[in-house]
Amino acid sequence: MVEREKLEEIVGADNVVEDQAVLDSFAKDMSFVSPVKPDYVVKLRSTEDAQKLVRLARETRTPLVPVSSGPPHFRGDTVPSEGGAIMVDLSGMKKIIRVDRVNRTVMFEPGVTFGELISAAKAEKLRLNIPLMPRQTKSVTASMLEREPVVMPTYHWDIADPLQCVEIIFGTGDMFRTGAAAGPGSLEEQWAAGGGQVEAAGPSSASWYRVIGGSQGTMGIVTWSSARCEILPRLEEPYVVASPALDRIMEMVHWLIRLRIPNECFVVNKVNLAAMMATSFPDEYQEIKNNLSPWILFYNLAGYEYYPEQRVKVHEEDVKGIAQRAGVEPRRAAGKVSAFDLLRVSQSPSPEPYWKLRMKGACQEIFFIANFQGVARSIDAMYEMLAQVDYPATDLGVYIQPIVQGVNYHVEFDLFYDPASPWETARIRELLNRSVDRLVKCGAFFSRPYGELARQILNRDESTVHALRKVKGILDPDNIMNPGKLCF
Amino acid sequence: MSLEKYRLDMETCRRCSACKFIPFEKVTGYDHVYVCPSITRYEFHSYCGGGRMVMGTALLEKRLTYTDKLLEIIYNCQMCGACDTSCKYSMDMEVIEPINEIRIDCVESGHTLPALDRVVNSLRRQGTMVPGARARKGDWAEGLHLKNFKKDKVDVVYHVGCQTSYNRDMWKLAQTTAGLLQKAGVNFGIGGADELCCGGRAYQMGYKTDFLKQAEANVAAIRESGARTLVTGCAECYFAFKVLYDKHNLKGDVEVLHTSEYFARLIKEGRLVPSKKVEMEVTYEDAYHLGRLGEPYIHWHGKEIITSIRTFDPPKEYRRGTNGVYEPPRDVLKNIPGLKLVEMDRIKEYAWCCGAGGGVIESNPAFAEWTALERIKEAETTGTKAIVTACPWCISNFAETISRNGSKLKVYDIVELLAQAI
Amino acid sequence: MTLNRDFYKALEDALGPEYVSADPEITETYANPVRHGLPVPPRFEAITLPDSTEEVQAIVRLCNKYKVQYKASSTGWLYSDPAGPNCIKIDLRRMNRIIEINEKSMYAVVEPYVVGGQLQAECMKRGLNCNLTGAGANCSALPMAAHVNLGHLSQSGSYGERNLLALEWVTPDGEIVRLGSLGSLNEWFCGDGPGPSLRGIVRGNTTPLGGLGVYTKAAQKLFHWPGPTTFPMEGVSPKYKPAYIPPNFLMRYFSFKDLDAMVDAVLKIGEAEIATELMCFNAAMMAANLATKNVEEEREIYNRFSKEVQGPGFMVLIAANSAGDFEYKKRVLETIIDETGGKPLKEVEDPENQGGYIWRYFREVGSIKETGRVLGPQAGMVGGGDCFPLMTNFIKECSKVKERLIKEGLLFDDGTAPFLQSIEHGHMGHGEVLARVSLQAKDQMAVAREINRQSNEISIKKHFGVPQHVWGDSLHDMYGPNATNYHRWLRKIKKTFDPNGASESSTYITAKE
Repeated sequence: MVEREKLEEIVGADNVVEDQAVLDSFAKDMSFVSPVKPDYVVKLRSTEDAQKLVRLARETRTPLVPVSSGPPHFRGDTVPSEGGAIMVDLSGMKKIIRVDRVNRTVMFEPGVTFGELISAAKAEKLRLNIPLMPRQTKSVTASMLEREPVVMPTYHWDIADPLQCVEIIFGTGDMFRTGAAAGPGSLEEQWAAGGGQVEAAGPSSASWYRVIGGSQGTMGIVTWSSARCEILPRLEEPYVVASPALDRIMEMVHWLIRLRIPNECFVVNKVNLAAMMATSFPDEYQEIKNNLSPWILFYNLAGYEYYPEQRVKVHEEDVKGIAQRAGVEPRRAAGKVSAFDLLRVSQSPSPEPYWKLRMKGACQEIFFIANFQGVARSIDAMYEMLAQVDYPATDLGVYIQPIVQGVNYHVEFDLFYDPASPWETARIRELLNRSVDRLVKCGAFFSRPYGELARQILNRDESTVHALRKVKGILDPDNIMNPGKLCF
Repeated sequence: MSLEKYRLDMETCRRCSACKFIPFEKVTGYDHVYVCPSITRYEFHSYCGGGRMVMGTALLEKRLTYTDKLLEIIYNCQMCGACDTSCKYSMDMEVIEPINEIRIDCVESGHTLPALDRVVNSLRRQGTMVPGARARKGDWAEGLHLKNFKKDKVDVVYHVGCQTSYNRDMWKLAQTTAGLLQKAGVNFGIGGADELCCGGRAYQMGYKTDFLKQAEANVAAIRESGARTLVTGCAECYFAFKVLYDKHNLKGDVEVLHTSEYFARLIKEGRLVPSKKVEMEVTYEDAYHLGRLGEPYIHWHGKEIITSIRTFDPPKEYRRGTNGVYEPPRDVLKNIPGLKLVEMDRIKEYAWCCGAGGGVIESNPAFAEWTALERIKEAETTGTKAIVTACPWCISNFAETISRNGSKLKVYDIVELLAQAI
Repeated sequence: MTLNRDFYKALEDALGPEYVSADPEITETYANPVRHGLPVPPRFEAITLPDSTEEVQAIVRLCNKYKVQYKASSTGWLYSDPAGPNCIKIDLRRMNRIIEINEKSMYAVVEPYVVGGQLQAECMKRGLNCNLTGAGANCSALPMAAHVNLGHLSQSGSYGERNLLALEWVTPDGEIVRLGSLGSLNEWFCGDGPGPSLRGIVRGNTTPLGGLGVYTKAAQKLFHWPGPTTFPMEGVSPKYKPAYIPPNFLMRYFSFKDLDAMVDAVLKIGEAEIATELMCFNAAMMAANLATKNVEEEREIYNRFSKEVQGPGFMVLIAANSAGDFEYKKRVLETIIDETGGKPLKEVEDPENQGGYIWRYFREVGSIKETGRVLGPQAGMVGGGDCFPLMTNFIKECSKVKERLIKEGLLFDDGTAPFLQSIEHGHMGHGEVLARVSLQAKDQMAVAREINRQSNEISIKKHFGVPQHVWGDSLHDMYGPNATNYHRWLRKIKKTFDPNGASESSTYITAKE
């Protein structure tokens, strides 16, 4: 165990926490990973703190588990896998370093949440491409590093977007900056030259930001990141399309994004839409849900600086044609849910309590990436499996997010349950165990697997594991960064 | 070494690989994009136009010498000029010229292929580029009582060519052509047994001296006849008379036409009227000696100027395949009632070679057949029943390949179909 | 050096004897085919022509076993020459299959010797398009095969680093790693995960140029194509022209009084998302694209264009999805040009020429002409892919280098206007200084090195990033200490994945300490 004094030398006494309740809160989360209590929570203030901490951890062979979002945590990646760990809490690093309108980028520390960043960007008439209703305490940096899907697929050119550059302390203790941020020059010198730390790739013939993304803190500690922004629209016209036929919805989604028409665009089933919109359960939730078609597509048309009305009008005309061919009809409301309300909700973090917890107190997510053909296949398979464990099909939340400009689809099943009920909990665990193989056979690619699922998925691809371990060996040779995660 | 005059052309090569493909503006799918049979078959870069440019500079720098392997590479090429056309879409440099010059240099330095020596010896001794022929040159005309341009006064010399004259299967081409010329009332004569080989194939094989000898003799005979027009049904002969003779300042004022050009003209003038229906769907093979290589030779006299780049004064105009004979054969086919022309993917200036040229059919018949088979497969994708062409070497190679490979495709010369319609 | 006989025999056994050759008549033509004014490097010891990933793996393993280096290339235009003895070539010519085009999921999977023209043509049949590498339709369609894989479509269709999905990779020591969904479920749609993305190892803003194993198949994103299934080109080479300009297509060239005005227009057009292509070609490149006769004609056109342009400019191409979309985009373009003082180059938008330009830019057939239709060794430098204004400033500085060298008589004078391009609707940009070394220069290599030396100095001193022409140990050693020592991490990748140094890496980085 690391001596407390050594930690205090780095971050000051106030930033080293040994309070048992606090440690307990990090020992487990809402996932089913085995609880392991850390020894300390260390609150970092700066890059220098991070560097010194990593060097100390190397000397003492102490596992470090970075965490930048506030609770509740869902996926097990911030629960230590080994004893003697230190939680590296970056949630207090809340500086918004720069908002650059010309280069459409923002730079910020890992503790910055969506709510905080959205308002800072808005002041410069910029906006971030955000996930669907992230929780209030979610760190933007963490979300990007996790490759969480975002709601504007037209602006999602690459699976890593909107992440651009990061500054990271590798598990070696070395500071590194990815992409354009690497240099030459300090950040200030780059800004003076007109740079904005926009280019994510590189420097030169490696794109380190990709290796850091999806790594669940196993490569290093990120101390700031930059993110691509888009411009705030001047005019927005949201629409919904409701249908019992998922294939028609998907046909429309494909063409909307292929023609680069909408801003926000996603598909949810009625369970999820009701869960997103309802503020009281169960009555309001049931009422909303009962008035909805099984599938709802939401999309938003926007106009910018030049002739925004004309842009929206043209898009509306073009969408009419797409809708006709798909055999659906866009409207301004689906049941009791207005498209404008849905727009508002999709542009902000979730109000408290977090929307996935409102129904029953807990939610397990099963999510993966599929291609167009895999979406319906995997959803059909999931509904079949629900029957095997008596999980009511009417309670399954489904969220389909087109990503990478419609080349991929994030498919997410939200399984709501009462965590206080052992029976419900067991049912969920059973479903999680059963579903993976079947979903994989239907074309589900678990590109960011957590907890035990990670091992299950990675074990299918030995050569990738071998390569990843080589990378890990370069960036964290002593395996101090969140050991036990993924295949490390 | 006369290859030296092409050094800067060869050094202009950028290694862009355009020479391996049809011009990219014309690519309409995955299939049928390759244009060079040599590299398509043999794969190593040495076999393509760009590879041969490097070969040429390497010969000049003595990094390579004429080994058996080098000869194999040099002669596994139909000299079709596709690389030249594709390269010159973008570049100002000669490609087929230095490739031919390598062969000339090869022969002049005493390095030859026995198979091609046999052909040229046949030319020297029997006056034919078809060794082992059992017939005499004028036998196809027996009983037709045609004029002989060396004895009779004619306006037009009909040059038949070695392949048609000596190959009994091809006699019908000459007989049909003669019949059409008669129907059109053309005052024409043939050489008959005294017809001289044009020498074109010998040139492309590298035997320049033999070519020049044939050329001089031919030109003298035609001049003496007073004829103002020479018509031939063989694309290779066309290329020889029209382009090679002109290149060597031998052509004179005689107008050289392919039968397809001449018959297109006669149809336009109303002297031939195709009126009978020929109900058939066909595809057309652009024989490269008529097409991309058949465009008129451009004489340029000036100086090369080396400043920061290489330019010419006066500016050099390049033969890029633009002005080859593409439309007249198509015009003839379009004028045949009931006939439907369905084009292949690789046509006109970027047509795939039939396989027979450059000495390949003599030195590597398997490669000639492979090349022809590629073309036949392409023709079959059009769904048509027949491939029509304008060169007896193409017909011969296609016919043999078809019969050996079980294809149901038929092969015709343009004149055969035209005759059916008259 | 002669290859070990057992090694050579093993290669023949793996591939078939007709697909291996050590004959000098074969190896000579792979040794720097671009000859003029340049020293000829040593030949590859042998050339191999594998037909499958398994054959590639066999070659790589043999090289590791017998301590011979290898260098793979596809269409092989530049950067694929041997650097020393004891190296064989893996010529991927025979690996030329399109594996899959998935229309609904908008991706295509190709082997290395499918060329851009082929893939684009097949995509067009399906109402799709792909980003062709800017060097042209004659180059590999594999996004990992190019130096960078930026292209004319990058405004709306990004580039290789961003478009790459799953990848099949024969590692330098002969493992086969299948990235992303390919490794997990034998599907091509995603190249990232599980967990960290190995896409980050196999390339950055440039590719390893043969120094990190062999890429045998790759999937890439496709984009919507609103045009005809085949473009209506008529005529005979090189005088092709379209029978008509497809509806809702237009192309214009605008010049501006200065670079700031041009940058302003580029950013506005980007934010308005109206352009399918936006390439800041200079007048010389526009002239080169149009000329068909000879370089004298090209100079004539350039002289005409030069009188018409007021400063730097760009070509903008709109291919709209509908008539309404077209009218809107055209209106916005006109407004922006008006606001920024752009001046049209009339000859370019003349219907006589416009259609041909549209097709040549989509099909990317002009690059060969634009960069070197006549004899004159190519030189220049290639910037990065960062913010458009930054990259513009970089190229503006580097253009002064070109100007000085032209004045000294060391470069051909085709003007010093920059070549830039906008990427992803102006979020990023890229620029290059393209030059032809004068045939009268005594030491042409030295001139090329001088351009690079001065450009590197500018980039480092004035903080313009790590450009895409940075490869090889000496350049990485120069830039690395100025850029968080990235070169040390790159060396670690090389050392870890290529323990025997088998993948020849003169155009990547070596594992030297």
